[in-house]
Amino acid sequence: MGYSLSYGRMNEILKELQQNYRVYAPRRWAGRGRYSDTDLIRYGEIAAVEEVVHDEKSDFSPKEIIFPITQPLFYFTEDEYRESRVDDQGLLIFARPCDINGIRRLDTMFLKNGDSEDSYYRRLRDKARFVLMECGTGWDTCFCVSMGSNRTSDYSLAVRFLPDHLLVEVRDEAFKRYFSQEREVEFTPEFVTSNPRTVRLPEIDSSGLLRKVYDLEMWKEYNSRCQSCGACTAACITCSCFTTSDLIYNENARVGERRRVWASCLHEDFTAMAGGLGFRATPGERLRFRTLHKVYDYKARFKEEQMCVGCGRCDDRCPEFISFATIINRLSDEVERLKKEASQEVAGQ
Amino acid sequence: MNHDLDIKKLRNHCYRQSKVPGEFMLQMRAPGGVIEARYLSLVQHIADTWGNGLFHLGMRQTLSIPGIKYEDIPAVNRYIKQYIQEIEVDLCGVDMEVTEEGYPAIGARNIMACIGNIHCIKANINTTALARKLERVIYPSPYHIKISVAGCPNDCAKGHFNDFGIIGLAKTEYDYDRCIGCKKCIEACAKHATGVLSMENGKIVKDTCCCVGCGECALVCPTGAWTRNPTKFYRVLIGGRTGKQTPRMGKLFLNWVTEEVVLRVIKNWEDFSAEVLEHKPVYLHGGHLIDRAGYNRFKEMILKGVQLNPEAMVAQRILWTETEYRSNFNVRPVNGVRAEG
Amino acid sequence: MSTNILLPRPHRILAINQETEHEYTFRVESGAAAKHGQFYQLSLPKIGEAPISVSAMGDGWLEFTIRKVGKLTSEVFRLRPGDRLFMRGPYGKPFPIDDFKHGDLVVIAGGTGVAPVRSTLRYFYEHPEEIKEVYFLAGFRDEGSILFRADLERFKARFHTIYTLDRDRVDGFETGLVTRHLGRIPFSTLTRYHVIIVGPPVMMHHTALKCLEYGVPEEKIWVSFERRMSCAVGKCGHCKINETYVCLEGPVFNYTKAKELWD
Ligand SMILES: Cc1cc2nc3c(=O)[nH]c(=O)nc-3n(C[C@H](O)[C@H](O)[C@H](O)COP(=O)(O)OP(=O)(O)OC[C@H]3O[C@@H](n4cnc5c(N)ncnc54)[C@H](O)[C@@H]3O)c2cc1C
Ligand code: SF4
Ligand code: SF4
Ligand code: SF4
Ligand code: SF4
Ligand code: SF4
Ligand code: FES
Repeated sequence: MGYSLSYGRMNEILKELQQNYRVYAPRRWAGRGRYSDTDLIRYGEIAAVEEVVHDEKSDFSPKEIIFPITQPLFYFTEDEYRESRVDDQGLLIFARPCDINGIRRLDTMFLKNGDSEDSYYRRLRDKARFVLMECGTGWDTCFCVSMGSNRTSDYSLAVRFLPDHLLVEVRDEAFKRYFSQEREVEFTPEFVTSNPRTVRLPEIDSSGLLRKVYDLEMWKEYNSRCQSCGACTAACITCSCFTTSDLIYNENARVGERRRVWASCLHEDFTAMAGGLGFRATPGERLRFRTLHKVYDYKARFKEEQMCVGCGRCDDRCPEFISFATIINRLSDEVERLKKEASQEVAGQ
Repeated sequence: MNHDLDIKKLRNHCYRQSKVPGEFMLQMRAPGGVIEARYLSLVQHIADTWGNGLFHLGMRQTLSIPGIKYEDIPAVNRYIKQYIQEIEVDLCGVDMEVTEEGYPAIGARNIMACIGNIHCIKANINTTALARKLERVIYPSPYHIKISVAGCPNDCAKGHFNDFGIIGLAKTEYDYDRCIGCKKCIEACAKHATGVLSMENGKIVKDTCCCVGCGECALVCPTGAWTRNPTKFYRVLIGGRTGKQTPRMGKLFLNWVTEEVVLRVIKNWEDFSAEVLEHKPVYLHGGHLIDRAGYNRFKEMILKGVQLNPEAMVAQRILWTETEYRSNFNVRPVNGVRAEG
Repeated sequence: MSTNILLPRPHRILAINQETEHEYTFRVESGAAAKHGQFYQLSLPKIGEAPISVSAMGDGWLEFTIRKVGKLTSEVFRLRPGDRLFMRGPYGKPFPIDDFKHGDLVVIAGGTGVAPVRSTLRYFYEHPEEIKEVYFLAGFRDEGSILFRADLERFKARFHTIYTLDRDRVDGFETGLVTRHLGRIPFSTLTRYHVIIVGPPVMMHHTALKCLEYGVPEEKIWVSFERRMSCAVGKCGHCKINETYVCLEGPVFNYTKAKELWD
């Protein structure tokens, strides 16, 4: 069912929704961008639909709403500990198709991997409902079509922002009541069907080939280019890594907490162990690790789909202009070359 | 040729005497060093028509055209009238009447600036915009003042060697919950700046005393935990100078002041100069004026009527360190004997 | 509401035994059915968590042998019997003890690598009827780092033991790295057997290659990996190698798999 409504009406509905939901959308933080006089666009609660930045891609993904950057797990007192809590307010999140598809990857990690459920993820994820935002033509770093993540039907509402009104599709019965007064129109959202950027995915089909991929020269080039800042993984909708640590708020009161914060495999200490032991000492090796996770081994493990959804935020955020889309294509070319060489070797024997 | 030229007067109209008798170099102002590129054809026209075909990128970012014959100066002045109107009046809002006499004054020198945040990734401010606002404050004052504006504490604009060096600062603010404790900001601050960041309980603490406001932490932070406060802040250095007698680097006068404060302070310079020079606008580096008046008097006059913002810091005293060519006690002849001469 | 897999439970420390200057063994009250080669996340509230292998188990207790290297491990050393240690687990794939039964078993361990294999060794020491011959080759750096002296002594009675120190000359110990003494294990006479190799990464790598040289088939070799871990339940990503999560599919791996776990 579709509706046409003014911004004013939508804001009234928003007020109603906010009795049951915290409503999050990409918002503009003026002047808070990486560079001076640039804006930061990231998720935050909104008070009016006009605040939604729908015509630019956000710097950070909505994952921080259900997988908070810093998340307390337990609170400790003198000799008690208590699980952190969340309220029962729902979460209504304005998101794009790639992000909604990306969250399915997070679900796989947090709810399926190891046949166990992460209850901290579960308790926020269960509360989340999505408002699909149309992308229009998309942006120059997007490659969602190549990753098959340009479409989704996993949303409660879908919205098209027009200059003086909005079109809303209500997919989820639970939201129908909010729109009962509105004018009905035919509306279903449109998805992008092509991106300026396409990627070719590598087909690594044997461990022998994987070994050769490890040893490719191309990774070394990134030793001088990548500064291991981890901006790519922080921006990524599908990166799910974290580190748990404890802290004491106050030495005397002996109270503290156990919490987790996001981690990045691009950071030098991601694998650091006691005694100075660690793995993947160079930026190139770490970038290889990330690349293979995104476009090879996640799929090798969970079968259905690649981890990367092609949102392109890693390319947008990399301060060194390292394009992940380019890495994927380079890797695919190398894999094809290696396969050809191998078949020539066999033929030549 | 005419050997009776009032070179002082010509100089006041921004024509500099050449070693070639009867020739002059015109120095056209380009406040902040940024103008539309189309003006370069105007420069070329002057150089080819009245100059010797050469063009000098002026040390203070003026567009300098040497080899102009004295007799051609009136024609050149007529020709640059429109440029002066467009740059000084239309662009910078300078309150002056544009005549056919060329530039009305040379006292307040061209304001220099690095490219700033219209281009540079490290910059914290729009140096061009500030230079233009300052031009309106100082021009066409007959009193000498040299200002340079830098986009960040790296000071590519060499504000340290100007009467006033104005440096753009970022007041970076920390979002505790967005921080993942990766230490990248700690490393960046230690490498590029003053190393005022450290880790406590997996999060960052800043020793605000000595943050130089470079913004490196905001540049490197992967999660946007460090961001710039959108308000622009400035550091003001004073009394820097080059020169044949006692060159010295400028010293910190104001820290963390707002643009409004900067503009007000610079506005007070004319009155201060007038007092020290007894209303005779002669050429003396600003530092010498401050020396004559003494820092305390300078401070009193320059801050007159200035409403300092709450974050502002003001130097309580200044420890100048000149290069003293007159004493030169650290320099000795190579073999212990001073060569005849 | 799903159960909280990260929730640690307090357990009482029954006894503490100092093995070396930097390694203590903690006996903790627990009725859990841990398997040989598995590990627990030990923690102290406000200090932190760390994965530690079960080094022995018995009726109502588990033992952990901990090397003091950092925050948590140092703080644990200040505990006394009766104090509480927080735990969650057991985690990871254990050694396939049932496959080992009624064959021969070769165990090659280096340094702290003896801890994860100790419970397996103790099991067969106490159930000699379930195993044929046990060859136990253990190496330590020097005299000060010898672990489990009592067990080492006991094992001599039922196992073929070779104990060696990298440097020091001490009675009852050979000298040199474990790889130097590998030749003394009669691989060529063994038929139904398994080989366990546990130690620092370099030691495991070289020992495995040597074993292959002696004709040991890859599938008979078992290793135990140590990786940075934060969650131990397949969520945090730290331990991943290719598509393998060491906390889930490891830490014990068959060599056929382990040889392809490149970092
Ligand atoms: C499956 C498994 C079994 C283990 N079994 C034992 C055992 O039986 N006995 C034993 O003494 N140790 C064992 N370890 C190693 C032990 O987990 C680390 O020494 C411990 O986590 C260090 O914790 P800490 O708080 O004292 O050190 P920290 O203060 O956290 O760190 C000290 C150093 O240890 C590194 N480190 C942090 N986390 C780990 C980690 N998970 N693994 C390794 N290094 C880490 C840090 O990067 C740092 O270099 C095992 C590790 C694994 C993965
Ligand atoms: S790897 Fe890059 S393009 Fe792919 S999902 Fe992550 S941020 Fe988006
Ligand atoms: S790419 Fe790196 S940070 Fe992202 S999920 Fe994979 S391992 Fe974690
Ligand atoms: S690829 Fe770019 S964003 Fe990612 S760690 Fe390297 S420099 Fe940073
Ligand atoms: S760079 Fe950013 S995320 Fe990393 S420690 Fe500093 S503030 Fe935290
Ligand atoms: S702005 Fe301050 S805290 Fe940030 S890097 Fe520069 S000196 Fe350090
Ligand atoms: S330790 Fe967290 S995924 Fe393995």
